[in-house]
Amino acid sequence: MNKTIDNDNKVLACVDQSAFAPAVAEYAAWAARRLAAPLEFLHVIDRHPTLGTDQDHSGAIGLGAQEALLSQLSSEDEQRSRAAREAGRVFLLQLRDRALGSGVAQVDTRQRHGDVEETLSGQQEGVRLFVLGRRGEAASADAQKALGGHVEWVVRSMQRPILTVPAQYREPSRVLIAFDGRAVTRRGIEMIAASPLLKGLPLHLLSATDAPGRHQKTLDWAQQTLRTAGFEVTAAGAPGKPAAVIDAAIRTQGFDLLVMGAYSHSPLRSWLFGSNTTALLRATAIPTLLLR
Amino acid sequence: MSIQTLRQDWLSNVRNDLLAGLVVALALIPEAIAFSIIAGVDPKVGLYASFSIAAIIAFVGGRPGMISAATGAMALVMVVLVKEHGLQYLLAATVLTGVLQVIAGWVKLGVLMRFVSRSVVTGFVNALAILIFLAQLPELNPQTAGVTWHVYAMTAAGLGIIYGLPYLTKAVPSPLVTIVVLTGVSLALGLDIRTVGDMGELPDSLPVFLIPDIPLTFETLQIIFPYSLTLMVVGLLESLMTATIVDELTDTPSDKNRECVGQGVANIATGFMGGMAGCAMIGQSVINVKSGGRGRLSTLTAGVVLLILVVFLGDWVKQIPMAALVAVMIMVSIGTFNWGSVRNLREHPASSSVVMVATVLVTVFTHDLAKGVLTGVLLSGFFFAHKVGQILRVRSTSEDDGRARRYHVTGQVFFASADRFANAFDYKEVIDRVSIDVSRAHFWDITAVSALDKVVLKFRREGTEVEVIGLNAASATMVDKFGVHDKDGADDLLLGH
Repeated sequence: MNKTIDNDNKVLACVDQSAFAPAVAEYAAWAARRLAAPLEFLHVIDRHPTLGTDQDHSGAIGLGAQEALLSQLSSEDEQRSRAAREAGRVFLLQLRDRALGSGVAQVDTRQRHGDVEETLSGQQEGVRLFVLGRRGEAASADAQKALGGHVEWVVRSMQRPILTVPAQYREPSRVLIAFDGRAVTRRGIEMIAASPLLKGLPLHLLSATDAPGRHQKTLDWAQQTLRTAGFEVTAAGAPGKPAAVIDAAIRTQGFDLLVMGAYSHSPLRSWLFGSNTTALLRATAIPTLLLR
Repeated sequence: MSIQTLRQDWLSNVRNDLLAGLVVALALIPEAIAFSIIAGVDPKVGLYASFSIAAIIAFVGGRPGMISAATGAMALVMVVLVKEHGLQYLLAATVLTGVLQVIAGWVKLGVLMRFVSRSVVTGFVNALAILIFLAQLPELNPQTAGVTWHVYAMTAAGLGIIYGLPYLTKAVPSPLVTIVVLTGVSLALGLDIRTVGDMGELPDSLPVFLIPDIPLTFETLQIIFPYSLTLMVVGLLESLMTATIVDELTDTPSDKNRECVGQGVANIATGFMGGMAGCAMIGQSVINVKSGGRGRLSTLTAGVVLLILVVFLGDWVKQIPMAALVAVMIMVSIGTFNWGSVRNLREHPASSSVVMVATVLVTVFTHDLAKGVLTGVLLSGFFFAHKVGQILRVRSTSEDDGRARRYHVTGQVFFASADRFANAFDYKEVIDRVSIDVSRAHFWDITAVSALDKVVLKFRREGTEVEVIGLNAASATMVDKFGVHDKDGADDLLLGH
């Protein structure tokens, strides 16, 4: 597990040319500084190969139609790829310079062809934390939608912690941990206790349940674990639906980072009965750290 | 199949898909009618087939953006069946073809496509273009009733519009303009020339489900099975080749086995809807991609628009002069033909050109694309065996002051090179001992091993002692399921031990 390659255990910031990119870069730099980890900016060029652009509706095919069409389509693709590559490079360089300026020791950039899903699954090895915007380029036009389609997919399929961030950067100072006593959350507590990411920040454990006292034992355990690791911890239980309780706490008490365990159920079950993770992700406007 | 893929396949290119589907539908109508005439059935059989295949393959096919419908390649196969047994047997054969294709997809026959070389594919495409062209000739034959000079003039004018109009505007499909203008002229002048209406019944309603009216006996199966088998092969060949072409044009992958199953499902349904068997179409798929079609929606649009046009504008479709259809089909034939392959005849290796030309000739003379492709594949195999057979060298050095000789065999020994191998030894040499080092050769089959046995025997008859070195390694390649490719050291074993 513990490879000593320099690029290992990096923070991977997934950026595209949307309004979220600067915030993603800032949060990623923040995480990289706290973790003392290398930071990599990843820009995926999806050239949408299923999109036809031709305006020729003549329907006539003449001598060598197929060869002519092949060379025309490939040269169009070539031009598009080149333009996208150059634009992406300049864009990544700006982000890199900013991150270096903010004090991250090691920053790298990478551009890849393909789609976001495929690329991230391929890159997962050696990543300590993914940072991505709550919505990408593809979903930006649709402002109603709080959560991009890619984001939900990434959160579901990645086996690494993921930080999803809003468009505005605010350095996290008060952390809310959504606690429900499930195994995935308990593992999350251990991860937080062991990681330097949140060291020194006040933590608040919030357990939302209809049966008061149900999680008391595990809540005590969590508090104890975090205290032992040197955190300043408070804990509370509140009745109601998790999404509503947590949303209310964020609104009234000014938290600026939410931590939770993500998707313990199968996609089918979530699709049928709804998922707490998705509901919370949609409801909150603050950065959310999802632990797997 | 995730929601993501579904959305990508269907909704990533909506506007272009709808427009391209429309263009394709307009070009599909004349084709479906023309191919029905080739097969010897009413135009409605081809039109229902084109609708049903295009609409169904849009959902179940493995290659988004590819157009499937009633095709010339398939129509040519069914001519005799229709002539001797009638339409109902064709419908039954269509269903059976579909069943065979589904099975082919399940057992992943698609992988056999890698034995079909580039030259065979080119030959197939060219033969198809030639056959489509030849099928138009009866409409241009002065002996056919109703073919007057008007027909030639209209066909020429039609081709003029098809190729000339895109220079003025690319917004409207020029084949459509051709059909509209020629129909208008023919009606205005009251010309007495052959029209689509003379060719047989057109659809007057949406297709209905019906079971082919045939006796369910073994004799029936005996009649339709050979046709269904050929139809399956031809349909899958053209579909997989077209899928490869579309893959190449759009630089996206496709699922070939899903395409096989999809073609099968489409044909089964089509047989029950009174349509003839079909497959993917090279010309139409090129038109679709050229018009901007990429997703499944383009294929669905093509099928649905075709049906709507034909059912609701049937009276107008009847009036279309055959000359207009001939012009469109000549365009399809020209657009399908691979003209680069003619230029390349001289530049490419002679063996490739022979394979291509043989595929074309056999297909054109038998009217059976399956036979043409089989010829091409076999010839490619022969040529390849011949070429690889050349990679064999036998050197020898004399040892032990002329009392012994050592032969070093390098290269490939198999049925095509076994004779050369056996003849490379000097049996008349007066010598005590011979050693044959085969550790740097491969013995691929039984012929090779028996050739070595023969060599050893011949030396023994001369009273020479023979020792064979390294045979185990050399014949390791002979075992059919050697499966060394994925084990350690496989490269060493296959590339000279």
